[in-house]
Amino acid sequence: MSGYRLSDGGRVDRTRTVKFSFDGQSYDGFAGDTLASALLAQGVMLFGRSFKYHRPRGVMAAGVEECNALISVSRGPARFTPNLRATGIEIYDGLIATSQNRWPSLKTDIGAINDRLGMFFPAGFYNKTFMWPRSFWDKLYEPVIRRMAGLGDAPTEIDPDRYAATYAHCDILIVGAGPAGIDAALEAIATGKTVVLVDEQEEPGGGALADPALTPWLERSLKALSDARNLTLLNRTTAFGYYHDNFVGAVQRLTDHLSAPKDEPREKLWRIRAGEVILAQGAIERPLVFDGNDVPGVMLASAARIYALRYGVAIGNSVALMATHDSGWHDIFALARAGIGISAIIDVRETVDAALICEAVSLGITTKLGCSVIGVSGRHGVKSVEITRNDGSQKSSISCDALLMAGGWTPSVHLWSHSKGTLKWRDDIGAYVPDQPNENTRCVGACAGDWNHGSGIVIDALPTLKDPSRIKAFVDFQNDVTAKDIQLAIREGFRSIEHIKRYTTNGMATDQGKTSNLNGLQIASQALAMPVAAIGLTTFRPPYTPQTFGALAGHAKDDLFQPTRKTNIDGWAQENDAVFELVAQWRRARYFPKAGEDMDAAVARECRATRTSVGIFDASTLGKIEVVGPDAAEFLNRMYTNPWKALEPGRCRYGLLLKEDGFIMDDGVSARLASDRFHLTTTTGGAARVLHMMEDYLQTEWPDLDVWLTSTTEQYAVIALQGPNARKVLEPLMEGIDLSAEAFPHMAIREGTICGIPTRLFRVSFTGELGFEINVPSAYGRAIWERIFAEGQKYDITPYGTETMHVLRAEKGFIIVGQDTDGTVTPYDAGLDWAVGKKKPDFVGKRSLGRPDIMASGRKQLVGLLTDDPKVVLEEGAQIVADPNQPIPMKMIGHVTSSYWSDTLGRSIAMALVEDGQAMMGETVYIPMPSKTHLAQVSGLLFYDPEGARLHV
Amino acid sequence: MSDLLMPNHPVPETPVAAIGVTISLAAPMQRYSLRARQAQALETLLKVKVPKSIGAIEGSIICLGPDEWLMRADAGTTLSMGAALPIAITDVSDRAICITVDGPRAAEILMSGCPLDLNAFAVGRATRTIYETVEIIIIREAIDRFHVEIWCSFAPWFWTALKTVASH
Repeated sequence: MSGYRLSDGGRVDRTRTVKFSFDGQSYDGFAGDTLASALLAQGVMLFGRSFKYHRPRGVMAAGVEECNALISVSRGPARFTPNLRATGIEIYDGLIATSQNRWPSLKTDIGAINDRLGMFFPAGFYNKTFMWPRSFWDKLYEPVIRRMAGLGDAPTEIDPDRYAATYAHCDILIVGAGPAGIDAALEAIATGKTVVLVDEQEEPGGGALADPALTPWLERSLKALSDARNLTLLNRTTAFGYYHDNFVGAVQRLTDHLSAPKDEPREKLWRIRAGEVILAQGAIERPLVFDGNDVPGVMLASAARIYALRYGVAIGNSVALMATHDSGWHDIFALARAGIGISAIIDVRETVDAALICEAVSLGITTKLGCSVIGVSGRHGVKSVEITRNDGSQKSSISCDALLMAGGWTPSVHLWSHSKGTLKWRDDIGAYVPDQPNENTRCVGACAGDWNHGSGIVIDALPTLKDPSRIKAFVDFQNDVTAKDIQLAIREGFRSIEHIKRYTTNGMATDQGKTSNLNGLQIASQALAMPVAAIGLTTFRPPYTPQTFGALAGHAKDDLFQPTRKTNIDGWAQENDAVFELVAQWRRARYFPKAGEDMDAAVARECRATRTSVGIFDASTLGKIEVVGPDAAEFLNRMYTNPWKALEPGRCRYGLLLKEDGFIMDDGVSARLASDRFHLTTTTGGAARVLHMMEDYLQTEWPDLDVWLTSTTEQYAVIALQGPNARKVLEPLMEGIDLSAEAFPHMAIREGTICGIPTRLFRVSFTGELGFEINVPSAYGRAIWERIFAEGQKYDITPYGTETMHVLRAEKGFIIVGQDTDGTVTPYDAGLDWAVGKKKPDFVGKRSLGRPDIMASGRKQLVGLLTDDPKVVLEEGAQIVADPNQPIPMKMIGHVTSSYWSDTLGRSIAMALVEDGQAMMGETVYIPMPSKTHLAQVSGLLFYDPEGARLHV
Repeated sequence: MSDLLMPNHPVPETPVAAIGVTISLAAPMQRYSLRARQAQALETLLKVKVPKSIGAIEGSIICLGPDEWLMRADAGTTLSMGAALPIAITDVSDRAICITVDGPRAAEILMSGCPLDLNAFAVGRATRTIYETVEIIIIREAIDRFHVEIWCSFAPWFWTALKTVASH
């Protein structure tokens, strides 16, 4: 208990007390506090346990770079957010925060035994240890490691929050509203261009918020910005990624800081396209590497200054500084002036600017130059530090309750690096700074290496007397990577910083190495005796800080997750108790169960009704393309395998479409409406694919053809009326079309009206029965469906779904592309030789059909399967073997592609792809299943009405 | 069309009114996709002016691409279909519906999911674009009013999306 609230100062509102809890204990803070500042003010030092060693950890920073104090915030089980930085959580009344990765409590953590066993957990420990035996992976290693090496728990319930999203455009986007960003914004608004300024904190100002001397400037500047009509300021907004062409993703946190959010979005995703991007991300102070640098109470010097001057919180009564850089001196002077007790300034440098010494003397602060901290005592909080001169002499102990680290500064080049801007190394500051941009962007202020914090020296680790293999001098605090881990990686032969990173996990935690990358590089540089610039730098990737999945999804959840396409008739199906399935993006009725029916019973009834009387089916989802122009027939002749030029207007033809490689891509029945106009149909899922492929050929191969393609999938609702009574149902409703078999044969199309609505009436059948497909303008789909359904009552008209459609077509051996084909099936494999125009000079895929491997024997061919036991319905996907007694692994000669119970035939039927199957008619094959090996006879595909007598009526 | 049969629209006929915006279903219209190598070919056939640059509108015709136009005319308008000419005219009246987004927040509402800068999109122009993953055609009728053409099966999703955004 050493931190406390200063009697005055800071930007918190001391008139507004905020009550919250941490690990079940109640605390008070002020409005404007973060969880970190409020708890520090209450003397709390211990915030969490480290990732691997479960070491006690406090707060190291005051901003986004915080790597230790990861906290879970709960608003109930569904609104549980783990791994939030205490430095970024704005407190509100009723905030419930808990620490992580400890059991049973933060103070007494069983897992801390790992710290004592640290020597057994070197770099690469997991890779080396948890390799064998294989059987331990799932049952032991993974669960145990997951529990031990943990961050916070994931929420267990579905997120009830809503999220917003938008695109935005501006001439100039400025990231970061610190002094440099604000200056850039003031300059930008004067140009009259549109400006967006984003800042991750709750109020703009950045470093100026912790510098009272800048307050008048800040207020003046913010007034000017808020008066500017061409500037949008987004607070609590993190620009998390910088993508191509100045496209920046940012997340605005709208309600996380509120005590009782109303029904409003929690976060908003901003997708910003900017003419110019100005990065003013600032710089992050670098910790120092020494034994005990992670004890709670060891903190960045700049953070202590922020706590004192922005939040009015002293982090201790007796504060020491370990510096390699002047900036820490200025910070500790600021603390001293705020009335905080200072224990000593220790600086590794033998000499520093005389003005610093003078100021220290005038403030009565002891200085120890040429000295380093070699140890920290205290486990849950600093009690004292051990120092020596750099030559190892004059070992002594300094009593203090907080130790500040001032190791120099690292420019935040994250977004710059996302944009693929190059970096250059600057020896004087020991850091990479932006060099050449790749987009229209520039860096200003500290993230460009431009600061006035004074000078310093850059070292890999503080000198120490201790055996380096026995100490824990942390480099990556969040992933528990120590200096000796990096040295070990190099001894084991790793040279590339990318390899060292992955082997040691340095910089791989949720903070992406904001405080560890540069120290890790310096240590590697020393160990390899190579300059840092020769070692390189690991890659920065979005997101800059962790973001919620909700924010990234934006509106795309629940109903808005993905469009569910519905036909005009969908509402009728819903009202008539259809069970739906998704086919591509479409929602289709799968079957229409009556009370007490399961799917099998419903499908059997629907099949029976269609075969004996009449069934009605919503086929609106079929892809449709209108092909129009003088060269329409020529074009189709080149696309499809079969001839099209001689097809007469008023007639239909089955079209088979191959890809360039000769494999089946799609199929469908198409009609010639006029010499220059065709109405094509495609499969439901293939509609867009087929149109794209046809456009591709038209635009790139045959731009000379006068023909154009228009998607008409959605123009028409399609009602399939199938069964021996189909004509009788339709006849009273049609006008202008003679439905008789003579006037309107199978595979023909007529135009007329139905109930006064224009229709393109196809006489086609995917069931093997007398059938019609009634195309009407889609707005009238449901009305016409209802008319037909009413008329069909005389014949017990039965609506059927996709499942019955599948069974009926399988009984006739009609393939479904994508089910009975898999992208490796040629027309010959599928038994569709008849659909290939032998005399055609060319069509898409023709050349590939002559390739030796397509002509060779041993290809899998589509055949029928009839199980020996007619009651056995094979599983789709089941593997087929020729001899069930061969040793495992058996040679698989094929697999079942479609399999159904056929009510019509009173037995099961199946389709399968089998090696040389067409030559195996009547032979027995075996389908081994876990319970039993099934026997089946290879058959043809036409299971029902092979002569087609039922069609031509 | 029959007087007895009622069309079934994919979105409610009752507008959604929210602060700064009203979202409503526009009246049915006749739509034709017009294709030709040159605008002149269509002008000769249809005897109307056909816009020459992509995004431009002349009367009821929008130029969507180098050889593609969309005609949006009063319901019942019929056209010569250009039989045997190097022209393709296709009736797509029922392929899409038109949703009107009206009010000072209209551009903001559409930009929630449309990546175009609609603040820089001139009145009297049109373009084919997307809203999140779904293709739409936007027509700026007035500074505060847009027409959005969307294929029927996507319309309920789009309607819900606009309604949701308008409520934020």
